[in-house]
Amino acid sequence: MGKILTRMGDGSPVELSPAELRQDLEDGSADAADRGNVPGLDEEDFRYLVELFTRRDRFVGVDVGNEVVLTYDGAALKFKRHCLFEERLHVLTLYEKMFGADTVELGHVDYSYKPVKPIVNYEQGTLEMGLLTTHSPLIYGAMPNLGLYTRPDGPCPNPMELLPQGKIKEARAAYEDMVEEAVRDIVFVVGSMYESGADGFNLDTVGASGDADVLASFLALEKLRAKYPDIAVEVGMAGEFVLGMHGELEYGGKRLAGLYPHQQVGLAEKAGAVIFGPVVNTNTDQTIPWNLARTVVFTRACSKASSIPVHANMGMGVGAVPVTDFPPVDVLSRASKALVELCGLDGL
Amino acid sequence: MSDLFVQAKQAILATDKEKALEIAKRHLDAGGEPLEIISQGFVPGITEVGEQFGRGTLFLPELIMAAEAMMAVTDVLSAAMAESGQAGSATPAGSILVATVKGDVHDIGKGIAVAMFKANGYTVHDLGRDVEVGDIIDAAEKNGSRVIATSALLTTTMGEQKKLEETLKKSKLREKYVTLVAGAPVTQRWANRIGADIYAENAHTGVVRVSEKLMAG
Repeated sequence: MGKILTRMGDGSPVELSPAELRQDLEDGSADAADRGNVPGLDEEDFRYLVELFTRRDRFVGVDVGNEVVLTYDGAALKFKRHCLFEERLHVLTLYEKMFGADTVELGHVDYSYKPVKPIVNYEQGTLEMGLLTTHSPLIYGAMPNLGLYTRPDGPCPNPMELLPQGKIKEARAAYEDMVEEAVRDIVFVVGSMYESGADGFNLDTVGASGDADVLASFLALEKLRAKYPDIAVEVGMAGEFVLGMHGELEYGGKRLAGLYPHQQVGLAEKAGAVIFGPVVNTNTDQTIPWNLARTVVFTRACSKASSIPVHANMGMGVGAVPVTDFPPVDVLSRASKALVELCGLDGL
Repeated sequence: MSDLFVQAKQAILATDKEKALEIAKRHLDAGGEPLEIISQGFVPGITEVGEQFGRGTLFLPELIMAAEAMMAVTDVLSAAMAESGQAGSATPAGSILVATVKGDVHDIGKGIAVAMFKANGYTVHDLGRDVEVGDIIDAAEKNGSRVIATSALLTTTMGEQKKLEETLKKSKLREKYVTLVAGAPVTQRWANRIGADIYAENAHTGVVRVSEKLMAG
């Protein structure tokens, strides 16, 4: 067997010998198993992944019968990233009718609950038009984004200015205040859009600001679940483990900081999530085989621990997809196939 | 490894500044070399703190407290070295300027990097977020930083890192500084493309690569 062409985590091409490929798969698996304290890949998994990377196909897909639900978070916004200036509702119909989306998501360009709050009436109108225009479930998505609650954008002191000064108590108090503010905004926006008929919601990139961000999402979800018992909310994470920016916040009696996907999913379900979106970060210094083996280990552990549907996040820099504006189809399709077929996922 | 070196490492891991200072004093009182306990006790401690942070088993407040303990003992040991006529400092670190680039308000990663560099004995000048290239260079010139580290979380703001490289070249200052780029969309390819000296996948890697670069001269 000659050299195997694949990529690094930054998207650049790299050639591996069969021995190097196998070693990278083993190392990626071992890294995840060690960090998450979860089972690594077995010999059958390695055979599957070696075959996946050595086949010459430019593009691969799941076997017949293994198809899963495809949802595109922030869908209406991503066209503009590619300089295609389509109006948001047009984009939703394109995703639904041309790109095979099973659910579509409407989101505002700022993609955070706080800035949507003062314009929620406009968003309600757009959502209602979207519901009349599309056939598949239409969800509304945004980020908790606790960073928007610090000065000068918000009312709270910035913990990232306080912490380096050693003001740990003050920083923790600021995070706790930010949680209260964010819960209020998330409940208001999601409640308003739910009452306008949204089929579901996406709390996206949960944990981007650390453990306080996760706590705000879970507490908001609890309130929404109590007020609207049938509401459908997906919790999509920001990173593979919860950053301990506060360090002592708990939910359901468990410290949030440091939780990996298989430990996060149970708490999301407890809070009221109906779909969980785990994230595994792509390491740009490593190859895609290393990253994919690692991602499969974390994601499968999450899938096994979950009793709600799991839709893994895949995109720029997560899910073994390279950190590039335009993900290369060779590795993107391989990562998608492996995650679906090895992890028992319900969707991507 | 001597028992005292093990205790020094444990004191940093426990983020116990008082204990760390007591151990440093005991070492000096017993006639020990300052560099010995730094390199064999305290530095392995702070290195493990960084590794644990990267694995999600130790969190930012603890990292900050460990950094404070580390800074306290290096101050004491550096002073002891000066008193005994030894040249240099207890740590080989230098001065680093850190900023999130113009148009970008994301500072979590930068904050972690600041704590990690301080923990490893660097003097850090943190300019905050949303900082103009001109202001970064002016500050570096004023405070004598050897390293300029910039963070960008967005694909739309990482261009500022390229602008920094170009402005340094135009000002004939490029050779004076070691530049480091970091942030979620930033990669080694990007660093190569714009001519930055160091790409850091995370804060811990940043410290390691800056230290290697500075030691290489």
